[in-house]
Amino acid sequence: MFHTNHRGRGLRTMLAGLLITLLACATTLFAGTGAHAETKDEKTLTIAVSQEVDSLSPFLAVRRLTTALGRLSYDFLTNYDPKTGKTIPALAESWTTSPDGLTWTYKIRDTKWTDGTPITAEDARWTFDTMMKDEAAATANGNFVENFESVSAPDPRTLEVKLKAPQATMLALDVPILPKHKWEKAGDFAKFNNDKEFPIVGSGPWVISAYEVNQSITLTPNKDFWRGAPKFDKLVFRYIDDSDAQVEALKAGEVDFVSGLTPAQAKALDSAKDITVNKAKGKRFQAITLNPGARLQDGTTFGDGNKALQDPVVREALVRTIDREAIYKTAYGGFGEANGGYIPSRYKDYHWQPEGDAVIGFDTAKAGQMLDAAGYAKGSDGIRAKGGLKLSFRFNVHADNPQYIQAAEMMREWAKEAGIELKVEPVSEVGALLDAGTYDILTTGWSVNPDPDYILGINRCSGLPAKAGGPYLSDAYYCNPEYDKLYAAQLAELDPPKRAEIVKQMQEKLYEDNIFVVWGYADQLEAFRSDVIASMTPQPDPGGNYDSQDGYWSWWSAKPVGDEDKAAADSGGTSSGLVLGGGAVVLAALAAGFVLLRRRGGSAADDRE
Amino acid sequence: MKTATATRRQLTWARRRRAVAKFWGDYRQNRAGLFGLAVLAVFVLSALLVPWIVGEDALSVTRPAGEPLQPPSGEFWLGTDRSGRSVLDLILWGSRVSLTVGFAATLISIAVGSLIGILAGHFHGWLSGLLLRVTDWFLVMPTLVLAVALAAVLGRSLSTIVIAIGVTSWPTTARLVRAQTLAVEARPYIERARALGGGHWHVMTRHVLPNVMPIVLAQTTLMVAGAILTESTVAFLGLGDPTVPSWGSTIQAARDTGAVSSGLWWYILPPGIAIALVALAFTLCGRAIEGVLNPRLRNR
Repeated sequence: MFHTNHRGRGLRTMLAGLLITLLACATTLFAGTGAHAETKDEKTLTIAVSQEVDSLSPFLAVRRLTTALGRLSYDFLTNYDPKTGKTIPALAESWTTSPDGLTWTYKIRDTKWTDGTPITAEDARWTFDTMMKDEAAATANGNFVENFESVSAPDPRTLEVKLKAPQATMLALDVPILPKHKWEKAGDFAKFNNDKEFPIVGSGPWVISAYEVNQSITLTPNKDFWRGAPKFDKLVFRYIDDSDAQVEALKAGEVDFVSGLTPAQAKALDSAKDITVNKAKGKRFQAITLNPGARLQDGTTFGDGNKALQDPVVREALVRTIDREAIYKTAYGGFGEANGGYIPSRYKDYHWQPEGDAVIGFDTAKAGQMLDAAGYAKGSDGIRAKGGLKLSFRFNVHADNPQYIQAAEMMREWAKEAGIELKVEPVSEVGALLDAGTYDILTTGWSVNPDPDYILGINRCSGLPAKAGGPYLSDAYYCNPEYDKLYAAQLAELDPPKRAEIVKQMQEKLYEDNIFVVWGYADQLEAFRSDVIASMTPQPDPGGNYDSQDGYWSWWSAKPVGDEDKAAADSGGTSSGLVLGGGAVVLAALAAGFVLLRRRGGSAADDRE
Repeated sequence: MKTATATRRQLTWARRRRAVAKFWGDYRQNRAGLFGLAVLAVFVLSALLVPWIVGEDALSVTRPAGEPLQPPSGEFWLGTDRSGRSVLDLILWGSRVSLTVGFAATLISIAVGSLIGILAGHFHGWLSGLLLRVTDWFLVMPTLVLAVALAAVLGRSLSTIVIAIGVTSWPTTARLVRAQTLAVEARPYIERARALGGGHWHVMTRHVLPNVMPIVLAQTTLMVAGAILTESTVAFLGLGDPTVPSWGSTIQAARDTGAVSSGLWWYILPPGIAIALVALAFTLCGRAIEGVLNPRLRNR
C-alpha cells in the first residue's frame, strides 16, 4: 500500500534539514585541504582570488585580477609614486612635450624583455599603433589612444606621439607595452588570449609562468627587473570561490593574503594570531543611478523608466531620504566614509565634496515638504502621485553584493517615510536592464584611478549609446552639455592645479543633478599573514591598499619573513633526542595552544562589550 | 424523505466521528508523533501570534533595537543580526514565511497530484497513458533548477518559490494516489456501485476519494517538510525576496556577513535549527499517521 521509499525520503528530508546550516560551514572546511607544496628554501606568496580570468591578453583584459596581472608582468611607460601619487618614470626614463601640448616625446629605458630581447621604442610604437588601428586591440584601453594622431619611433630609444588635441592623461597612459616580436604574429587579437606559451614574455617585475584555469596562476620573479628583483621566489594566485573559505585558508596558512573581507571578518581577524588586517581608504565609490530617461546619442528615448524621475524635484527628494552615514555605519560596519563626492577622498587633489547649503542631506521631512509643494500628494496607500505618475520605483540591486542589499533595505524604509515606494529587486547583473533602459534605480560602484579622466569621461553625452542595445560604458544615462564642456577643458588643461579646479566643478554638476548619486567610499579590507610577509608597500603609502593597486608596488616590494635571520635558523637544532623530546613538545604545545585559545576567547568577548 | 436524508447524514457523521476518535486513539500511542505535533503546535502558534508578541517594528532595518552583530545577551537571547535586529524576532517572523510557503506549495502539489492520480487510476486507455507520461516528465524535473529559472523570469518573490515547489513536487503524490485508486477500484463494492448505475463522478468522489484521503494526508505532512526545506534552500541561494525575513534568507544574510569565519554562531545556527526542527516535526507526524493507517508498520 505504502511505498517504503517514501518513508525513506521523509527521513532524508529531516537529515537534510539539519544539513542546511552545516552545508554553509562545510564549504569552508573543504576548501582549505590543498597541500602546501613548498620546499623550505622557496618562499612562496599565495594570494586568494575568486575572480575568473577573462583573458591574459592586455588588449582584452578588463577585470580587476587580469589588469593587475598585466601590471605585474608588463611595464608601463610611467608609474605612480606610492608616497605622493605623482607620475614617476617607468619604461619611459624621461619625457618632454611641445609648447602646444600636441607632441609628446618619451625616452625609452635601455632594458630587456624576459626572453633577453632588448626593449625598444618600436615595441611601444607597435602597441599604441595596433590599438589605434585594430578595434579588437582597443577593447581594454582604447580610451587612451582615441585622441592620438600618430605614433612613431624615430630611433630605438625615442617614442613620439602626436595628438589631435591636448590630452592631460599623457603621463597616465595605463597601457601595458607589449613585445612586438612575440605579438605581431598573434593573428586575430579578438581571439588571442596569450595563454598558450609559458612563461609569458614580459617586462614587469613578475613573469606569468603557469596558468591552470580556475585553479591557480603562478608567477616567478624577473631577476633582471631594472627596479630590482622581487624578494619572494614565487607568487601564486589561488582560486578559492567562497569568502569564508578564503578566510579559513588564511587562518590555516594555506594562503597568505586575502582581500574583500566583510566588516565582520575584518573584526574577527583583528584578534587572530599572526594575521594583520589592513583597512585601506577605498578607491571605489558606491552609488545609485536614477534613470533620467534612457536615450541614444541622437535623442531617441527608449525603455520604460518611471517618468517621475525626470523631475529634478523628485530626484532631490529621493536623495534626501538617503542617510549615507547610517549606510556606512551599519552595512559597512563603520569601515567607510559617507561622502557625496564623485572622486574618492583618497585622491586629495581631485576630490570634491559639497559644503554648507550645497549639501543635499538626509531629511525625510524636507523631502516630504518638497514633494507636497511640487504637487505630489499622498494616496490612500501612503505613496505619493501626481497626474497618474506614482512615486513607486523599481530598485535593482546587485544580488551578489550583500552591502548593497542591506543599504537598499534601509533606503526602502527611509523612502517610505517620505511617501516614496522602492521595490527592492535583486538581480544577478544589471547590464541587460541598463541596455534596455528598463530600470528606475540601479546600484553601481566604480574603481577610480589616480588620474580621473576615465571616470569623468564615462558620463559625457558622447558616451551615450549610438544605437539601441549598443555599447554603453556608464550606467546613468547622464548627459549635460555644461559637464561636457568642462570635460573638454580639463583634458586640455596641462596645469595640474587648474585642471583639478575644473574636475571639481564637474563633480559639483554631477552632484546637483542627482542622477549619479554617490553614497561614499567603503574601506578596502584585506588581511595577510604577518609570519610570512614581513613588509610590503601599500598605495598610497601609508594608509593604502595592497590588492589591485595602480602599480606593482605591493607584490614587488613584499619581503618574506625570515630573510634577515636565515643563518640563525639554519644552525639551530640537532636530531639527537628529538624523537624522545617530540612527545613532550607536542603535549606542551597543545597545552599552550589551549591556554592561548581560552585567553583569545576571553579577550574577544571583552572587545565586544 | 427529508428526515431520512438527515438521518443518513447523521449516521455518516457519527461514523466519521468514531473514525476520527479511533484514529486519535491510535495516534496517541506514537510518542514521536505526539512530540512532532507539540513542536508543530508551538511553531504554528508563534507564527500566528507573532504580530502581537513582537510587532512589525522588530523588522525595521533603519530603527533596529540593538547594535549590529551583538552576541546573545539578556536583552537579545539569540543576539542581533547585521542590521542590529534581534535574531530571535527574525526567526519568529521567519516562521510565518516558511510555514506559509510550506503549506501553500504542498496544497498545490496535493491538489494537482490527487486530481491527476485519481483520473489516471480511474480511467484507462489513452487518457491514463497521457497523464502518466506527463507525470513522468514532471517527476524528473529538478526543483532547484526550475526555481532558478522561474526566479529569472517571474522575479524573486515568495509566489515564485511556491509555484516552483508546487509544480515539481506533485508527481510523487499522483503516482501514489493512482496506485491506491487502482487498489480501491479493484474491490467488489465498486463493481456493485457501477452495477447500480454509479457514474464516473460518483465513483471517483464518493468511493475513491474518501479512500485515498488517508494516504494524501500522510503524504501532505511529509511533503510540507520538503517544501520548507526547498524554500530555505532557494532563499539561501539568494533567489528569495531579501526584504522578507525567512529562515533561508536569514542564513544567507549570515553567510554574506561572513558569519562562518567570524564566529557569529548565533546568527547562522538558530535559523538552521528552526528549519531542522520543523522538518523533523512534520516528518514525525507524517510517520505517525502512516503507522496508524498501515497496521503492518505499527508493530515495528
